Order: sequence, then structure tokens, then C-alpha cells
Amino acid sequence: MSDKKKIEIRDLTKIYGDGVEVRALDGVDLDIEKGEFLAIIGPSGSGKSTLLNMIGILDTPTSGTILLDGIDITTASQRQRSKIRNQKLGFIFQYHHLLPDFNAIENVMMPLLINGIKKSKAKKIACEMLEEVGLYDRANHRPNQLSGGQNQRVAIARALANNPDIVIGDEPTGNLDSKSSDIIYDLLRKLNKEHDQTFILVTHDERMAEKTDRIIRLVDGKIVENSKVE
Amino acid sequence: MYELFIAIRHLTSRRRQTVLSVIGIGLAVMILMVSQASIVGLNQVLYTSIVDKIPHVIIKPGPDEDHIYLYNSFVEDIKNIDGVIGVSPVLFGQATFEYKSHSRNVIMQGIHVDDHDSVLGINGYITHGSFRDLEMSHNSVVLGDALADKLDVKIDDLIDASFPQAYPATLKVVGIYDSGTPQDESLAFTSLSTARDFFDVSSVVNSILIRVDDPDTAHLVSDSINNPGVVASSWMETNPEILQLSKLKSISNIILMGLIIIIASFSMVSTIFMMVMGKTKEIGMLMAMGASRRSISVIFLLESGIMGFIGPVLGVAVGILICLQIGSITMDMGEGSFGGESAFPFIVRIRDAVVIVLFTFILNLLGGIIPARRASTLDPVEALSSE
Repeated sequence: MSDKKKIEIRDLTKIYGDGVEVRALDGVDLDIEKGEFLAIIGPSGSGKSTLLNMIGILDTPTSGTILLDGIDITTASQRQRSKIRNQKLGFIFQYHHLLPDFNAIENVMMPLLINGIKKSKAKKIACEMLEEVGLYDRANHRPNQLSGGQNQRVAIARALANNPDIVIGDEPTGNLDSKSSDIIYDLLRKLNKEHDQTFILVTHDERMAEKTDRIIRLVDGKIVENSKVE
Repeated sequence: MYELFIAIRHLTSRRRQTVLSVIGIGLAVMILMVSQASIVGLNQVLYTSIVDKIPHVIIKPGPDEDHIYLYNSFVEDIKNIDGVIGVSPVLFGQATFEYKSHSRNVIMQGIHVDDHDSVLGINGYITHGSFRDLEMSHNSVVLGDALADKLDVKIDDLIDASFPQAYPATLKVVGIYDSGTPQDESLAFTSLSTARDFFDVSSVVNSILIRVDDPDTAHLVSDSINNPGVVASSWMETNPEILQLSKLKSISNIILMGLIIIIASFSMVSTIFMMVMGKTKEIGMLMAMGASRRSISVIFLLESGIMGFIGPVLGVAVGILICLQIGSITMDMGEGSFGGESAFPFIVRIRDAVVIVLFTFILNLLGGIIPARRASTLDPVEALSSE
């Protein structure tokens, strides 16, 4: 039954603060199917990014479980978490977070090298990825020689380099003008279809959310809307 | 080994900081290398110029004895000890020398010239006349140049020697020597038989001086001499200050130089710290990409390790070059035992170079642990959202 479900979130709660308690997430239940393209939306401070960080195992919940392929990732060891992040997850942030000392192709190679893949093979894969995001001709440019949209495309290529099951985007178009945003959105959508990867995007942009398969709306750490987009 | 890939890129991208840090450590190491080479060289000079001019082992009569009896067979026994290259039986005592209106109290030493030369190389000090003449004619004497000046005597002058309980004698000056040490003011040599007649003793001596081929083993030789009625002591026991001085110099040098290296390493650690601070976001992203905490700390440890290795290697290399350069310049050192034209005595030992490089490398690696640990314990979420 659960073989098609990639992510099962049960009663996920995150409480911040020692003195003044802040419930960033409050008993969230959510199932995400393989290959879904969904948007998490909500006002600032609603817990969107916190939820995303939990799914990306960058952060640990106060209580509750997240099953990834049936394995509870909230209790995984540091080493396991690093391995899962490297092989099963791809991250795209609002800011591209490319390593400034490395050129585009080296940045895309990085998750592959961390995965223990040989440099020559990593370079080959990175070339293909750059081609897929349309930046093969910029392979040797460093981040400061590329535009914001281009850098974000390099970051997408990097996120997809290890062919992850799940791609997590935290406001991936938040820093871009609408034209660049559309390019990025179309790219993500295309990749989602081609690779059958699960895409989970946090966004402010209702217009962009409308173009996904499903919208999860969070308010005060609770899911208030979970609806398929027609 | 992507950690090395990242570490090297970090260092080459911040070339100026990297070069400055490496130069800082390199300079400290260079100073340490030069200073160490000079200390080793000075100790060597101390050895050759001081230890070379003193007997390595002295045998004296035991506590209840005034003289060493039957010394001839004893001397033969000593000559058979491994490492002994010279043995000189000596009869010495005080005497008053008078020449015209001048008078000086001196130490008069009766010697066999060849034996004594084999221990202290006295023939090399002679400036006028000859030590050999001591054994050609009875009642002859060789004086230190300073003593000759004080008495205002020249070769062939006759000195009146006297002392309570001694037979007065008239001694003919047959030679003047200059050893470059204070003993030139007070030490006069005669033959053993002249000394015996003067001090009115039979066939005895009151010390036996020994030279060994390796001064560092003098204590072994002295330990092996345990005949009754005599006490043997090595130069380490009779002149402990020589060893203490060189040890003190080495220790104070090591402390001072160690501090300089620690300061240099501090500046390197702070460079790595700045690197970690400036790369917080990057570290967060590496963690998100699946870099383990261990890998993150390895990256920054490699950075301090690389700088902490290149710096000392360059420093030692430049230090050795400086030693060779300065060591090849000869200077006039003036009068005295180190006198004449000579170069500063740098001695570069490979062992010192290796120890210095290793010490600095390990120190930098240890210093690098602090920023590396800080980097590896960053929270990825906080790191990614840091400003």
C-alpha cells in the first residue's frame, strides 16, 4: 500500500524557543505521492520553511515522524542523514547558494563528488545537467559572472545531479523577476515530467502555486487547505 | 577526495590571505632555523675551543694522598683503555718567580713534553723558542706570553724560582707560548725532573691528564678508572658549566622560538577562523548537499595542514640558504681564543630541520581543530539563513 507513497508525515510538531514557546508546526499530517509536483503556501511565519527543512532532514522535529520509503528519517544518525540528503534529496533555495570559488560545472559536480563518484564521470553527468538547464555554454563561468536566473538554473542542475527522488525548493523563484520565474518554473515542470521526481516547492507566489498539482496551505503551523489544482 | 578539492580551491581563491599566512609561519620558522643553526654552531665552537683545550679526564691523588705513586705502569694501563689517545703525568705546584725587580707567583708544571702535547697540543702554542728544550737542559722553563711580559723576560733570561719548602733554583727561559687563555699569565712549564728537584719529591706525580678521541665519552673513560688511591673525573664533572651553558642556551632558544611559532600559528588559525566565518552559508549548502560533519572539518583541517606544511618547508629552506650565505662570509674576530679570520659557525642539521617542520605542522594542525570543529558543528538551517 505504501509503495507508491514516497513521504508520509504523521503528527509532526516543532516547537522553538526556551522561554516563549513558538509552535512552528502543530501536528501536521501529510502524504506525498511519488512524482507529485506540489506547492506549500502560506503567510510568513506559517511554518512552510520549517516543514520543508524537516522533509529535507536539515532540521529535527520536536515530535512526530516522517517516513521516507517507509524509513523514519527523524531518528536517523548524522551519517545516515547526510547520506539521504546526498542521494535522495535535492535542494533549491531562494538564494542559489552556489559555491563562489567554483565555476558552474564544478558546482554541479559537487553533490556527485560528495557521493563518491569519480571526477571524470561527475564531470560528464554535470555537463548533461547543464545542457538540460540550457547553460552548457556557461560551464566555466563562476557565479559572479552569471545572472540571478542563470545561477538559479545552475543550482537546479546541481539539485538534480544525483538523480534524487525528491527535489525541495524553498522559494526557488523568490529572488527573480517574473520572466526569469517563468523560465525556472517551466524548467522545474519539465524536469518533473521527464524524471518522475517529486517536487515540493514553498512559495509566496500564488500564480506559480496555481500551476502545480496540489496546494498545501499552512497557517500557524497547521494545514488549512490541501487541494488538488484543477 | 572532494575535501581536498574544496580546501585547495579555498586557499587559491584567497591567494593574498593564504600567502600572508604562509609567509607569517615561514618567517617564524626561518628565524627558528637560523637561530637553531647558530646555537648548534656556537656549541660546536665551545666544544672545539674550550673542551679541546682542557684535559678530558683528570686523575688526582685520593683524599688522603698528596701524590700518585708508581705512576708509570698506571699510565701504561690507561693508554690501553678504549678511546684514550693521550696520557700526560704532571707534577705541579706553586712557585715564586723573580727577575730583576719583577716577581710573580706562578703554577709550575713539570711535564713530559711529548706526553703533554698528546693531551693538550701545547707545541702549537709556542711563539718563541721550543718546548723540546725543556728536556735538553735541566732547570729550563717555558712561560706564557702574559707572564713573560709581567716579568719582562725574554728567551735565555735567567729567572730565580723559590717557594717555602722548595729548593730554590735558577731557571733559563727556553720558550714562550700563547694559548689565548688566562693561564698564560700564571702557568710555567718545566721538565718533570726539574719540577721534582724543585719540589723535593721522588719519582711521583700529582695528576695525570688524559685526552680521549670523543670528548662526549670522557665520562665513560673516567668511570672505568677506579684504582685505589686515585680519583678520576671527566671534564663534565670538573667543568660542568660548559655543558650547562650550552644546554641553557639551547633551552632558552627553544622556548623563545617556540613562542614565535605559536604566535605565527595563531595568526594562521585566525585566518582559518575568518574563512569559516565567511563561508557559513557555503558550509550550510555543503551539508544540504550531503557533506558529512566529518568532511566539513576535514576541509578546514586540510587548509591549516596545507598552510602549516608549506610555510615551514619554505621557512626552513630560506633559513638554510641564509645560514649558508652568512656562514660563507669570513670576518675578523679580533684577538683571543676565537681570534683570526673566521666565518660565523652555522651548523645546519637535517634532524633540526625535520623537527622544526614537524613541530610547526602539528601545531598548526592542532590549531586548525578549533575552527574546523566550529565549522562542522554549524546547524545547516541557521548556516543557510545566516547573513
